[in-house]
Amino acid sequence: MSALELKNVNIFREQTLMLSINQEVEGGQVLTIMGPSGVGKSTLLNYVAGMLPKAFTATGEVYLQGHRIDQMPAWQRKTGLLFQDALLFNHLTVAENIAFAMPKSEGNRRQKREKIQIALEQMSLAQLGDAAVSQLSGGQQARVALLRVLFSQPKAILLDEAFSKLDSQLRQSIRQLVFEQIKQKNLPALMVTHDLADANAAQGPVIEVQSLC
Amino acid sequence: MGRQAQFSLVTTLRGVLVSFLYYLLSALSRPVLFGIILVPVVAGLLGVLLPAFNYFPALGSSQFSGAAFTQLLATPGLLKMLCLSLFCGFLATWIAFKLNIMILASFYHTPWLNRIEQGLSPVLAVPHAAAAIAIAFILTPSGWLSRLLSPWLTGSNMVGDSWLPNDPWGISIIIGLVFKELPFLLLMSLSVLKQANLRVRLLQEYKVAISLGYQAEAAFIKVIFPQLYPLIRLPVLAVLAYATASVEIPYILGPNNPATLAVTILNWFNHSDLELRFVASAAAVLQIVLSLTVILIWLGGEYLWRRARSLFMAINLNPWAPFYRFCTGVTLILFAVILIVSLGGLVVWSFAGYWPYPAALPNSITGLHWQNAFTQLAEPISNSLLMAVSSSLLALLISLFALEAASYRTATKSWLEYLIYLPLLVPGVAFLFGLLWLQQALFSDAVFLPVLISHLVYVIPYVYLSLAVSYHNFNPALIRVAASLGAKPCKVFWRVKIPQLFAAIMVAFALGLAISLSQYLPTLLAGGGRYPTLTTEAVALANGASRRTSAVYAIMQMVLPLLGFMLAAWLPKWVYRKAQA
Amino acid sequence: MISNRDNLTLSSVVNGLIFALYVILHAAAFAEQTVYFYAWGGSPQVNQYLQWAKQELATEKGIHLQHVKLADTSDAVSRILAEKAAGNLQSGSVDLLWVNGENFASMLKHNLLAEPWVDQLKNFSLTRPEKNPAVLKDFGIATEKREAPWGKAALVFYYHSGRVNQPPKQLSQLIPWLKKYPARFTYPRPPDFYATSFLKYAISVLNEHQADSIKQQLYQPVTEKSFNILAAPLWHFLDELHPLLWRQGRYFPSSGAQMQRLVDDQAIYLSYTFTAAEVPAAVSQYNLPPQIRTYAMQDGSLSNIHFVAIPFNAKHKTAAKQVADFLLSPKAQAKKQQIEVWGDQTVLDMSALNNSQRAMFNTLQRHPSALPANTEFKLLSELHPSWVDKLNSAWLQRYGVF
Repeated sequence: MSALELKNVNIFREQTLMLSINQEVEGGQVLTIMGPSGVGKSTLLNYVAGMLPKAFTATGEVYLQGHRIDQMPAWQRKTGLLFQDALLFNHLTVAENIAFAMPKSEGNRRQKREKIQIALEQMSLAQLGDAAVSQLSGGQQARVALLRVLFSQPKAILLDEAFSKLDSQLRQSIRQLVFEQIKQKNLPALMVTHDLADANAAQGPVIEVQSLC
Repeated sequence: MGRQAQFSLVTTLRGVLVSFLYYLLSALSRPVLFGIILVPVVAGLLGVLLPAFNYFPALGSSQFSGAAFTQLLATPGLLKMLCLSLFCGFLATWIAFKLNIMILASFYHTPWLNRIEQGLSPVLAVPHAAAAIAIAFILTPSGWLSRLLSPWLTGSNMVGDSWLPNDPWGISIIIGLVFKELPFLLLMSLSVLKQANLRVRLLQEYKVAISLGYQAEAAFIKVIFPQLYPLIRLPVLAVLAYATASVEIPYILGPNNPATLAVTILNWFNHSDLELRFVASAAAVLQIVLSLTVILIWLGGEYLWRRARSLFMAINLNPWAPFYRFCTGVTLILFAVILIVSLGGLVVWSFAGYWPYPAALPNSITGLHWQNAFTQLAEPISNSLLMAVSSSLLALLISLFALEAASYRTATKSWLEYLIYLPLLVPGVAFLFGLLWLQQALFSDAVFLPVLISHLVYVIPYVYLSLAVSYHNFNPALIRVAASLGAKPCKVFWRVKIPQLFAAIMVAFALGLAISLSQYLPTLLAGGGRYPTLTTEAVALANGASRRTSAVYAIMQMVLPLLGFMLAAWLPKWVYRKAQA
Repeated sequence: MISNRDNLTLSSVVNGLIFALYVILHAAAFAEQTVYFYAWGGSPQVNQYLQWAKQELATEKGIHLQHVKLADTSDAVSRILAEKAAGNLQSGSVDLLWVNGENFASMLKHNLLAEPWVDQLKNFSLTRPEKNPAVLKDFGIATEKREAPWGKAALVFYYHSGRVNQPPKQLSQLIPWLKKYPARFTYPRPPDFYATSFLKYAISVLNEHQADSIKQQLYQPVTEKSFNILAAPLWHFLDELHPLLWRQGRYFPSSGAQMQRLVDDQAIYLSYTFTAAEVPAAVSQYNLPPQIRTYAMQDGSLSNIHFVAIPFNAKHKTAAKQVADFLLSPKAQAKKQQIEVWGDQTVLDMSALNNSQRAMFNTLQRHPSALPANTEFKLLSELHPSWVDKLNSAWLQRYGVF
């Protein structure tokens, strides 16, 4: 049994088939999906995450750790999304952003705060727990976004052009950080990208999607 | 350990309550919204239709007939009334619409547009009655303008027998309506132009047009305006319907020999001869036909304009651009002068002692009028505030949850988006009278509740429309991120949407306050005069004995909604001061 | 997390405030018996007098008097009618109504008044109705003791002595005066009360020379024949008058109050009022120039009595009667007659009062703008109310559309 299984997934825009995929991803492995824009790569991620836009429909089955998730509401699927923007909530501080993602089982407010502080220190963000997100640099924001996803206890990671807005130096280090965490937590990951370097760094299988229409 | 268990019990309970509230309100909000908008309007229309055809058992008439219409048609000056309503409503809307386009065309993509927006927004909050009182102060032959010009320009120390205000052509009405409607149209247009999915594209097309050799004004009119108009059509029609059927401005600024149809209806309904109620109801039906006619005329003009569009597009507008700019400048200066002179006039009058004509300033200054007013203002102010806060909070709650519920529905555009315009399109003077009998039957002794419902009919559409813009522009990626982090829709709503939209919510709330504070007819009718507010008192005193007292009331009427908007601007900064440090 | 808590606190604070506000505002109303007194609210003097009455009633009788300010008394009549239509026969919103003339006639016609009750008032006997039958007639119609007299008024004129040497002393001098001061007079548009009052004054004076048998018809229900005869001189007069009025008679003010404002604006120099005391009061409030003088026309002043009535469906009838009784008390009547308060003439008969009660009425002060104390009145009676509608609609037919 694979960690993440996409079984005969077909995605349609109106009635037209856009994309077809049948693939399994192991824990700690990153499956890279590449292809021209408009073929529905991001739509696939949205489908897996349970947020298919209204204009699209899909058939097929998605299994995560053996449980079928494609009928579940998005918030129960445990598929952590990372976009090209960090998308931190600007009405919350850094620590509050991370706490937002933590399930109740992580303890009370004080216990959560301690865990966040330890994690921030590991990511060399130790002083920034009470900072406003608008004060952070791009790299810091990306790291906070990653921490936030990891604290939501995901069972899979979905990367939607996650590194495309970072400059090349930063991109490399953040990419490395993300992939390390994926390996360390043994999570299956789906990555959509334009950048061959992303695919190479992922060291996993690569699917080239062609335009079907 | 025990404390912790207790703590988690409390948090769990709170969580259950919060999500229960969320799901309950989400499920209820749309039907409630539907009911609050539709029931009063439909019941009210029924309530005037029946007496219009002579069915009103309380007056001993339970036979349907057309007698009321026969009597209505025999009213001296009916044709003149209709023409006046039609002329003023149409022309005022057309001028406001035209000025709106001119301002946008001249200032689109310049820093001035923001300044104009900031300058005009406070006018939006000024109740119609207060605006009318302020304008009457300028136009009146003994007003500040003529005092400043006398005797050196007018050559006289005596008050002239001027034809303004209350002129038979309704010019004063048109000035008053344009003054109020222009800011509304401008802000509606700007909110459309700022929509996330339009802003960038329009700006690019505009720049392309300019690079193709069009002057700024021509580029706006040929490229942006045709895309903007369909999106502001409904607000324009609402303005049109309002302008043909409004009561406050024609009542204070209009002629009375005869008055507009809407004012005449009000007079008939209030007349001691109760038989006039039948004619009044028939006239209310006529008012609906009149408003519909004006809308049809507008749509007809729109149709012709679209047919002639290719012709129109071929006109070289470049040579007109300087003229456009000139007209816009003159208009804005005139607008600013009216604004400053009228506000200044109100303030000076409110403190004036004896002030003989043509002295530019009073002989003495006194706080007497404020003092006198304040002994009587306490109740109207607390009534106004109580009503404004309750109706706006309710409207906010209902609108917010209706939008939230709609965002999880599969249908892309719902009928609700159109229904919400119903109270703005159906003349209030027509359905509010008809609503009286229903309110009488349901809550005979209540005062607060019927007034609240009547206010909600008007407050909800504005709050809803104002919120809808922000809601639709809300970055959907934030919602996706939150959901992927395991947040339920309920948590996303309370913890992401509400805080992110807080500023917009406060603006909608302040708008609700302003709308509620400005309501005259709904308060007067539903409350039966037992719920005095600043606005009802101000209109009652507008043509009263004391110009000075009237000034005090008009100023107070302007101050309250402005305070609301100031609060709306300041509160989000204060609440989120920590995250925005 | 913290912000969220702030949010919740904020909303609960707001809710709490609203509730507190509501409780404070309405606590007074719950504690005592409330009487909703619907009365025209256009005069600050009257409003302040009723504020005084409210305080007195609260301490003396534990009644909470709520003055509902009307722009027009007919608003209240409409409301009572709507209540009747909706089947609200027990708990109407109007407890007491300030009324006279055609509004009273209309209520009587539609059975909107409570059963006769005025004899139950302790102070009603002080009006000596057997000696002064006027307190039992409202514009010529018997009150049936369904309304209690409250005050008396006579039509007086006032003018700007700084701009005008000599005001017209008779109706016949008005047109020559206007030729000298064009556009410096006007009267409101019917059906305003002050408009019909002017028309009634004019029609009474213009028919002064007629035989008694014809003149008397003004005080009887109007007929087509009597109207044609008696109104003819009025139309003749108005045809000549209107082009000389303010704005050449194209626009008429909407009320007597608006005329006072026009005098203050010095747009017109001459106006009239039923409440003579309002003039000096307005001068001291800066709402009229200090050069204003008040006088009575030599050819007659229209006079009438105004009343308070209880609707058939009033919710607090007993308390409303107590209020009416208080308003008739020597104390309240004397207060009302004081120039600086309201200046409304009492309906009490001085001979019915004891010395200390009479003394309360002797506090008149003089103001240069007030009506001279030695003014002699030639009182004109009010016309039968049926004339009012007829005059109004005929006026609107002739002059209502310019």
